Amino acid sequence: MSNNPSLHLAEYLERLPGTTFKKLYQQPSTAFAIFRRMLPHLAKTFVMRMLFMPHPMTLNDLDVWVKPEAKRKKDQSLSILRGLHIVQISAPSKEKPQEIQLMSNFKRSLRLALTGGGNHNSFGVPSSLLIPPEIDLPFLDRYARKKWEDVLHFVVSSVGYKSVGDGSGPNKGVKELLIAGRLVDRRPNGGLGITQAGFTFLLQEANAQVWTLLLLWLDVLGNNKGSGLDPVDMLSFLFMLASLELGRAYDTNALTEERRNMLPSLVDFGLIYIPQHKRSMFFPTRLATTLTSGGNSLRTISEGVTAATQSAQTSQQSLGPLGGGGGEQQAGSVVIETNYRLYAYTQSALQIAVLALFAKLNMRFPDMVAGRLSRASIRQAINFGITADQIISYLAAHAHEQMHRTAALTNKPVLPPTVVDQIRLWQLENERMKTTSGFLFRDFTDDKDYLDTARFSEEIGVLVWRNDHARMFFANKHEQIKDFLKTRKRAE
Amino acid sequence: MDAVDVSEHYEVTSIDSPPSLLSIVIDTNPRAWAALDSRLSLAQAISNILVFVNAHLAFSNTNQVAVIAAHVNRAVWLYPTAQKPAAAKDNSGDVQMQDVSAETNNSSSPSANKYPQFAQIESSVFSSIQSLMAETTIQDLDQVTTQLSGALTLALCRINKASQALSSSDTTLSNAAPVNSTAPPPVKGRIVVISVSDSEPSQYIPTMNAVFAAAHNQVAIDTIALAGDSTFLQQACFNTNGIFLKASNPQGLLTYLMFGLIPDTEARESIITPTHDTVDFRTACFCHGKVVDTGFVCSVCLSIFCEPPENAECLTCGTVLALGNYGAKPAVVPRKKKKKKKIVNGSGREETGSATGTPKP
Repeated sequence: MSNNPSLHLAEYLERLPGTTFKKLYQQPSTAFAIFRRMLPHLAKTFVMRMLFMPHPMTLNDLDVWVKPEAKRKKDQSLSILRGLHIVQISAPSKEKPQEIQLMSNFKRSLRLALTGGGNHNSFGVPSSLLIPPEIDLPFLDRYARKKWEDVLHFVVSSVGYKSVGDGSGPNKGVKELLIAGRLVDRRPNGGLGITQAGFTFLLQEANAQVWTLLLLWLDVLGNNKGSGLDPVDMLSFLFMLASLELGRAYDTNALTEERRNMLPSLVDFGLIYIPQHKRSMFFPTRLATTLTSGGNSLRTISEGVTAATQSAQTSQQSLGPLGGGGGEQQAGSVVIETNYRLYAYTQSALQIAVLALFAKLNMRFPDMVAGRLSRASIRQAINFGITADQIISYLAAHAHEQMHRTAALTNKPVLPPTVVDQIRLWQLENERMKTTSGFLFRDFTDDKDYLDTARFSEEIGVLVWRNDHARMFFANKHEQIKDFLKTRKRAE
Repeated sequence: MDAVDVSEHYEVTSIDSPPSLLSIVIDTNPRAWAALDSRLSLAQAISNILVFVNAHLAFSNTNQVAVIAAHVNRAVWLYPTAQKPAAAKDNSGDVQMQDVSAETNNSSSPSANKYPQFAQIESSVFSSIQSLMAETTIQDLDQVTTQLSGALTLALCRINKASQALSSSDTTLSNAAPVNSTAPPPVKGRIVVISVSDSEPSQYIPTMNAVFAAAHNQVAIDTIALAGDSTFLQQACFNTNGIFLKASNPQGLLTYLMFGLIPDTEARESIITPTHDTVDFRTACFCHGKVVDTGFVCSVCLSIFCEPPENAECLTCGTVLALGNYGAKPAVVPRKKKKKKKIVNGSGREETGSATGTPKP
């Protein structure tokens, strides 16, 4: 049992053993989703170039592909590719240069995903039943938003800001999960209190929030041996969900027994919708289909337009609160100026409550709140256990469209640097130390040994600190350095 | 204490890379494909191209794709297909098109073994290329060249529309803030031309207009030439920092595509791209549409002619031009023996007649 379940997908995947990846990559949809979601751009280009190569290629050839100034980027890409068990690099030896190739499993699955064909059914079997007319995209979006807001309301209300949410709160199972994942804590007085992990959760953008919750769920179920669920299969199922098409019905009967058992929980999270009277079909919602899109990618053209028209429609139908973790809220609503004033175009009680955690809000209008960041308000947030980084990344993730546009036009950062610096300085007033967990490497036999290893760790981006004089360096991960040292020793 | 470095600046920029829009222009000249048929048939080429399209879409789900056929007499959308505007409530064309193709796809039962978007594109491209071939008449076949400029223009329009949709309907901002030309465009546009025929000289001006528009919008034009002599496309790639590939083995189209053309403009910052060292810079003359090495240029409007125009009048701007003694054999005058110039005032500078230098503006 790990005490701190990983909140990010990358960390979670990194911990999995190689055999798990072998199983995962059996499914084209999983290979496809991991390719899309987890790799940096350069790594994707490498994979695509190698995908249809019949033979392994030498590492030297790969060096020739990239410009000298991008070497660091290349090394990081390669280290991620190795970490995810996508490529395989032969051990160095005297007679043959090192060779690189894609893992055969991954290669086969990604080829199948691109060319189509095969008989794997990994992109979901559509339901042949008639779709009830009331289920359309706006309906699914409203449904997903409602479900997700319930979850967030539950977390945020434990801070003490009583939100005026109309929701009845999430299901008991979800509440248990949030407590088990230590996003909220049971306090001695019987109430619930938010933890620092909870704040991290709240301040993430919606896509990362969904993944955090799902990973918690995988952890909890994985540790519970009696449930009979295989975490690998579940993860594979989640990736499959991500490749389904929004607004289409899929057949539950085509799923395996285990996967069918997962459906009720997914309904609780709002990832899928099952009509009351037709239990044999399910609809993925936007929360599910955007699982593999990174960051703010909901700001796409077609989806942006759809979201805009839909929000216009919903506001005509009902003046329900917009935003709060659903699909459209992604558009971003927070404007922050260099004079520390903050404006948020939102009427979501949830978002206002989150903003109130670190800003002093002093005006509220029908569709907007205004306030400012001050030393006192940031200090208060830090006392809650929120870090400056979290606040800044929240502001960046929810920045208004206008902020992005101005930034793109003037080629400047999205958030005003003065504000960002000041938030950090306010935090530094209290804590002058930053802790990084990791590993200290020292007692190298000679200088060359030390320099080579340190350079390697810098190239793969794990080096945190080094002192050439004392021949010591500190890295936050050690697996690849260990391999490196091993191969060095063997080569000698 | 001094370990805390507060002088460092933390900058938050938007992390996500902008979506990349790929427009593929396929030269569908029936004659050229027939000539190529023994090595690579059109159907094989299309399926290779579709794999390439899928690979591009796999990069990110914000990536978009458009496929355009440059036919002998017109340019046609293969995907997204512009069918009759369905009774949709919004006015934006993009969404409608996708809706329509989704609907058409609903009728056929989709496979569970294929990513839905890929299946949509495939069926759309195949059906539109079939109807395009069915509509081609025998008269059309007389043309040996292709209407490339129209297809390039369509592709550019789509990229422009997409980038405007992204930077959104906000005119006040662009009026207020001076547009920084170095700012990256909101969408990475790229056009890939799959060329099989010669460049049509009469299309020189429209093609070049499209090329300069693309260069202005930072849209790269990449070309893979399977056959034919595509002079203008070489220039297009050169002007827009694109890649020009001359495929000597058309059978390996997929490898050319997946290896040479998969890096988009973002990846090209770190990847060394295949280059073509010789660029054919020849141009077409304005009078007969012939591709010329050396020509006559109007000194006023810079129009190019392969021979002196009638009455020495420029066909474009009407200026009367004097040709001088063109064609006359230059008289060879024996060189005078030069006396060595003596440096008078010690400086090698030529006498300009004034003591002060030219005033700077």
